[in-house]
Amino acid sequence: MRAAVEGLRLGAAVVLGTVTALAELLFLLFTLPFLGNPNVWATARRLARLEARRLRLDLSELDALTEGRGKRAGGYLATRVPVGILGGLVLWLLWFGLSTGVRLAAAWGRGEPFDGMVPSVPLVTYLGVAGFLGLFLVLSGVAGVHALERRLARRMLGPDPTQALQRRIAELAESRAGIVAAVDSERRRIERDLHDGLQQRLVALSMLIGRSLRGRTELMHQAHQEAQQALAELREVAWRVYPSGLDSLGLGEALAGVAERSSVPVKVDCRLEERPPMAVETAAYFVVCEAVTNAAKHAGATLITVEVHEEGPAVVVRVRDDGSGGAQASGGGLSGLARRVAALDGRFEVTSPAGGPTTITAVLPCG
Amino acid sequence: MRVILAEDSTLLREGLVRLLLEEGHEVPAAVSDGQALVAAVDEHRPDIVVVDVRMPPTHTDEGLRAALEIRRRRPEVKVLVLSQYVEKRYATELMSSDVEGVGYLLKDRVGQVGDFLDALERVAAGGAAFDPEVVRQLLARTTQVDPLAKLTAREREVLERMAQGLTNASIAQELHVSQSAVEKHVNSLFDKLNLSHTTGYSRRVLAVLHFLES
Repeated sequence: MRAAVEGLRLGAAVVLGTVTALAELLFLLFTLPFLGNPNVWATARRLARLEARRLRLDLSELDALTEGRGKRAGGYLATRVPVGILGGLVLWLLWFGLSTGVRLAAAWGRGEPFDGMVPSVPLVTYLGVAGFLGLFLVLSGVAGVHALERRLARRMLGPDPTQALQRRIAELAESRAGIVAAVDSERRRIERDLHDGLQQRLVALSMLIGRSLRGRTELMHQAHQEAQQALAELREVAWRVYPSGLDSLGLGEALAGVAERSSVPVKVDCRLEERPPMAVETAAYFVVCEAVTNAAKHAGATLITVEVHEEGPAVVVRVRDDGSGGAQASGGGLSGLARRVAALDGRFEVTSPAGGPTTITAVLPCG
Repeated sequence: MRVILAEDSTLLREGLVRLLLEEGHEVPAAVSDGQALVAAVDEHRPDIVVVDVRMPPTHTDEGLRAALEIRRRRPEVKVLVLSQYVEKRYATELMSSDVEGVGYLLKDRVGQVGDFLDALERVAAGGAAFDPEVVRQLLARTTQVDPLAKLTAREREVLERMAQGLTNASIAQELHVSQSAVEKHVNSLFDKLNLSHTTGYSRRVLAVLHFLES
């Protein structure tokens, strides 16, 4: 059934293609003296867009429809007119074959000879096979014309493969540089964590011990407590550098840990059928970490919701908070996240109108 | 003596204040950034300031810049700088302003309470105190450079301690040799370094360090 619907739709597209080919032929002949007029190109572009719709192509892939002056669209129309006319000829052949078959069957049904032929077993068999073969060839022709049209449109309206490669290389170079920058800023943060937190504690601790050695023995108690604090601080810093639990426990558990340590209530809804690749898990974890930290620190949020789920071959991470909004995607932490996500060819979006709420979305392809 | 502290870590600042009070010093002010330090010095006229290099807002060298400004405006105020790392540029910048009564210690040294207090006393008395680690690194960087390479191992040990601001007597104690032996080493290394023989030990330190800087 579905195949039949698909076939009919394809046939209709080819029929329509023949009609538009004739219309475009007239348009091209009519506007030939005015080539170079921007309105002509703009119309050519509009016609090309209609063709792309007829061929059910993804318009976003066809840059000739949006970029440039429409010259490429004009070239495409000139090239597709003959293909459209070829489609018309194939359709005519189909019509001719079908109508001949119907008339033959009708004449023989009334017991009259058709074109001087009287039905006999060998003749009926021969005509049946020949008719079936002809029908098959003609239908293949219709499908072929349609496939040819689609290829032609993609080729002439889509980006040039070399350009596409160059664009990709530029993208990769950018994301590579971004990752290096992100790693550097992470390291700066780690150094600061160690210096501002842990090292001060340890110096203070050895000062306490030093003082108690100079006769204030009652300070030993305090020094002991200070040592415990320093250990806790070390654990925190190490966990911020890389959550070791992520490897062993998986994303869900690690995110539950983030929720526990957050000063603002965090609701985590992590639904993953199977564990995504390590790089994706890590990126998802850091996206949530940074977003939660930001929401608690800068937005004054009272509730943060974290959703992680699969969408096709990608993992989608969404963090919402009910805070005051106004988060800048170009800010230090968020731009680092954007780079991390870009390195995995993912998408990263921040919507944060003034007054909130803020939603941070990362789509991380797995594969 | 009267000490003003500038340190952004509350924990450490409080600890230092307690320690200094226990040791019988006065602490008229303890602040957490460079600007407040300059203001506090203007107000309280302390004998010495102890200042952390890295402080808000940029956490780079605010403390040091404040220290240099204080030296410029009130040369009578002694300065002891606490630094996260050995920053050769900072050390030499402090010393190049023709000073006596400066010190440059690694922050960790504060934990060795005795050493820290000694250094504080030395600087306050118009001497100098450079962290052994700072001196070691400055020396290490110049090993390829003559004429230091001409020094014997023993002379090098003496020079390091001298650079920290120790007197001949304390060097002799540290190295377990007689004071006259130390004087002999000092004379021979001054000869090797072409330095005029002076008596003020802080000038010795500066001479040595200027030499290292050259």
